[in-house]
Amino acid sequence: MIAEKVATSCRVVERSNAGPIPPRMGALVAMVVMALMACSPQGTGDLVVWNTMRPEGRAILDSLLTEFGAACGVRCSQIYYEPEELRSNYQIASLGGSGPDLVYGPGDQVGPFSEMELVATLESLLPPQFLEGFTPEGLVWRKGHLYQISDQIGNHLHLVYNRALVPEPPQDTDTMIEIARRLTRDEDGDGRMDYYGLAWNFEEPFFFVPFLGGFGGWVMDEAARPTLDTPATVDAFQFMYDLKFTHRVLPPESDYDTADALFKEGRAAMIINGPWSWASYLNKGIDMGLALIPKVNATGLWATPMVSTLGYSVNVNLRGPRLQLVLQLLQYLTSDDAQRAYARTMRTIPSRPAVLEDPVLAADALIGMSAAQAKVGRPMPVDPELRAVWDALRPNYQSVLNGTKSPAQAARDSQADALKAIAEMNQ
Amino acid sequence: MHHKDPPWMTVAIYAVLLIFVAFSVYPVLRVVTVSLRPGDQLHSRSLSIIPEHATFASYVTLFTKTNFLRWLMNSAIVSFFVTLVGVCLASTAGYSISRFSFPGRRAAMISLITTQMFPATMLLLPMFLLLRSLHLWNTFGGLIIIYSATALPFCIWTMKGYYDTIPSSLEEAAAIDGCGPVSAFRLVVLPLALPALVITALFSFMAAWSEYLVAAVVLSDKRLYTLPLGLKQFQSNFSTEWGLYSAGALIVAIPVMVLFLSLSKWLVGGLTLGSVKG
Amino acid sequence: MTREQRIAYAFAFPALAILGLVVLFPFGYNVVISLSNMGMKHFWNWRITGFQQYWSVFSEGIFYSTLAKTLIWTAINVFFHVVIGVSLALLLNRPLPGRAVIRTLLVLPWAVPQYITALTWRGMFHYEYGAVNLVLDRVFGLQGVAWLSQPVSTFAACLITNIWLGFPFMMIVALGGLQSIPAELYEAAVVDGASRWQRLWRITIPLLRPVLVPAISLGVIWTFNNFNVIWLVSNGGRPSDQVHILVSYVYRAAFNLYRFGYAAALSMVIFGILLLFSIRFIKGTKGTEAVY
Repeated sequence: MIAEKVATSCRVVERSNAGPIPPRMGALVAMVVMALMACSPQGTGDLVVWNTMRPEGRAILDSLLTEFGAACGVRCSQIYYEPEELRSNYQIASLGGSGPDLVYGPGDQVGPFSEMELVATLESLLPPQFLEGFTPEGLVWRKGHLYQISDQIGNHLHLVYNRALVPEPPQDTDTMIEIARRLTRDEDGDGRMDYYGLAWNFEEPFFFVPFLGGFGGWVMDEAARPTLDTPATVDAFQFMYDLKFTHRVLPPESDYDTADALFKEGRAAMIINGPWSWASYLNKGIDMGLALIPKVNATGLWATPMVSTLGYSVNVNLRGPRLQLVLQLLQYLTSDDAQRAYARTMRTIPSRPAVLEDPVLAADALIGMSAAQAKVGRPMPVDPELRAVWDALRPNYQSVLNGTKSPAQAARDSQADALKAIAEMNQ
Repeated sequence: MHHKDPPWMTVAIYAVLLIFVAFSVYPVLRVVTVSLRPGDQLHSRSLSIIPEHATFASYVTLFTKTNFLRWLMNSAIVSFFVTLVGVCLASTAGYSISRFSFPGRRAAMISLITTQMFPATMLLLPMFLLLRSLHLWNTFGGLIIIYSATALPFCIWTMKGYYDTIPSSLEEAAAIDGCGPVSAFRLVVLPLALPALVITALFSFMAAWSEYLVAAVVLSDKRLYTLPLGLKQFQSNFSTEWGLYSAGALIVAIPVMVLFLSLSKWLVGGLTLGSVKG
Repeated sequence: MTREQRIAYAFAFPALAILGLVVLFPFGYNVVISLSNMGMKHFWNWRITGFQQYWSVFSEGIFYSTLAKTLIWTAINVFFHVVIGVSLALLLNRPLPGRAVIRTLLVLPWAVPQYITALTWRGMFHYEYGAVNLVLDRVFGLQGVAWLSQPVSTFAACLITNIWLGFPFMMIVALGGLQSIPAELYEAAVVDGASRWQRLWRITIPLLRPVLVPAISLGVIWTFNNFNVIWLVSNGGRPSDQVHILVSYVYRAAFNLYRFGYAAALSMVIFGILLLFSIRFIKGTKGTEAVY
């Protein structure tokens, strides 16, 4: 029945797709015509999905889109953007009344998009029996409306360790530091460390948040008010500072790429990283183990990475048959089959529990550990205020790690900056 | 200033020049190195230009497994038209401003530079709205118009500066021979302005060939992607296919480099923002 | 209208029409938005609120500190562009075997697309793997600098990148100027017993002025508004969100912080600053004739 519905909605939207224009360079006039007419405006064109997926995910998305397109006689395509760029380009495009049909990204992008009314409310557009198949966190609601349907849960950080260097992963931070100190060393005596115990991205506060939670703090409260100027933040900053300057187990400068490269070369024994990185480590021949980010000794609490969803939202500008078709596509892209394909290749946690009954997935140790880490993690807030919190934390976190601000000062400034940014945002 | 330098000075001059040549060339060679590295590693602590286990694999992948050729063609089409528009319009507008006096001439000249003063990123949103209302969004036409407008002010300036150095007695002589002003421009002045025309062409081409920000907003259909947009697809938020990216970047850079190198003779004579009246 | 004026308008019209279309509407749009409250909460339903956004621009300290950084950025860049460019032009302006090849190689930084070189330089400033530190370490035996972890050194990294990008333009402009200085002037000066140094300061530099003044004013405008290098080398203003010049801050305010009204007002202020500068600079250096 669904297939029939897809077919009818397709017919309405069907249009002339001239296909690629042959690259014949004839008369100048022909070229002018070609250059100006090479595409029809999107209102009548292909279905387009903007996404932030990594290359493996895009390959799966491509094949799903091809299948759906073939069933419907419509061309579907996907375009990749970096998350930031996806946000700015989507703002411009949807304000102008166009933009992609579906926009894919982390759950927190729902905050600004829903506030700016750039994405459609979905609760009355999708069949209830379809929505029932999701875990509660798999559907992203905000202020009483449903804005995003996820195809995976996770995207959270873990402790990844190199078994060749760390036989037994640390369970608490003291052990982690002790192991790291042992493994940080200057092999050739040139004054620069050649091996590091621990590495991760020092630029993004996303990588700091697990410890913030471990010290008993969090980024904001239920009412989306930032809670950064707390003893917990100060302690967590101090912990970071000590790792770098007291215990000296971190590289002097480390963005994502550095940490990643160090771990791949076997020059960093442990790294804090997410599911997107595993395939590349395994391919490099690193005997990689996965563990929970350790318990903080000072508080006895597990570190709490932010657990978010990744999923699709629908462009607010869509109407009529095209909207119906896009909703079909949305259901197709988040279906059991699609999620199974992603989970098998990318080891992600599906947002439809039925998918986990797949024997291959049920037996997968990485997915199992990832689910365990998600259990001790905390869900990522979807309010646009989170943006202000990131922007306030980022420079202060960086200042602590380059030694230019004391932890107490950085915590105070983070809170003040976040409050100021929220006020500016809401003016 | 062509008096013979003492030998020690020639040596010193060469030394200074070579230091700067190294400074200019090295970063470009770095891109070559990354493109030849096996695997997708950006990071290596080796300084050699030809990396260990050098391979052309990235180039092969680029041409056989990606849409690189299509992006190349798209960029070529867009750049070709921007160059055409730039040369035609800058040569005429520059001539008008150089030779004729008319109400609004000064205003036109001043507004040319003022176009460079507004932060380009803030023009993205209104430009997008404009192109949509003209049905030029997501077309090469829209891109060509915007790029032409980006390149024109500088090109008109250059053309005007160069025309100023051509004595107007030439046109007067042509007029005596029965040439109208339009044919005097076409037959007498334009051929003499060749160096400036070359610069104009080069600039217009460059404005279009490797532009990213505007293209990302204007084009949304992958089949229309230009090179910079295509190359961006090799990146992802946490990992980048650096080998592919560098190989692609190099191939993007090569046509511009070749143009520059083959035109460098004209470059020196043609870039007359203002003239030396000795 | 005289026939001549008709021709003049016909010649100038197409170019000015395209410029008007692409520049005037967006500019007008920005003027309107700069007077509105367009932002995250009022994205579709914005309304005119007067000069409130301008007040925000001038009342926030960040404007002044970013303006100061922009001025330093522009001054240092243009200074080095001119000094390096003119010096290399002087060295090249003589019969020298291999001159054409050297000149060609020196133009290379200009020929490679900016976004490629900016990202390449960012890679070269990397602490562990960057070529800059590796050269410091292996060639000069110096300790590496963690360039991209401190705002000041990141700013320096951006400066080095942009100086690299910008000197060839000035070099070519200066070479063009030098070649059009008549050789007789120098011969006369030699007859009068002028030293090299005197010839440089009395003949070469004054005669280069009319060429350099417009190039410098254009250089200042371009550098002041150079978004690419700052944004790409510092990865969006990092670390600590301190590595900004006004244009990159505008971008951040609009697209990362959703403050469209504020960003438009700030853009207008940038425009005003550059307009004032150009008028004063070009008048002050009597470069008017060459430009207009």
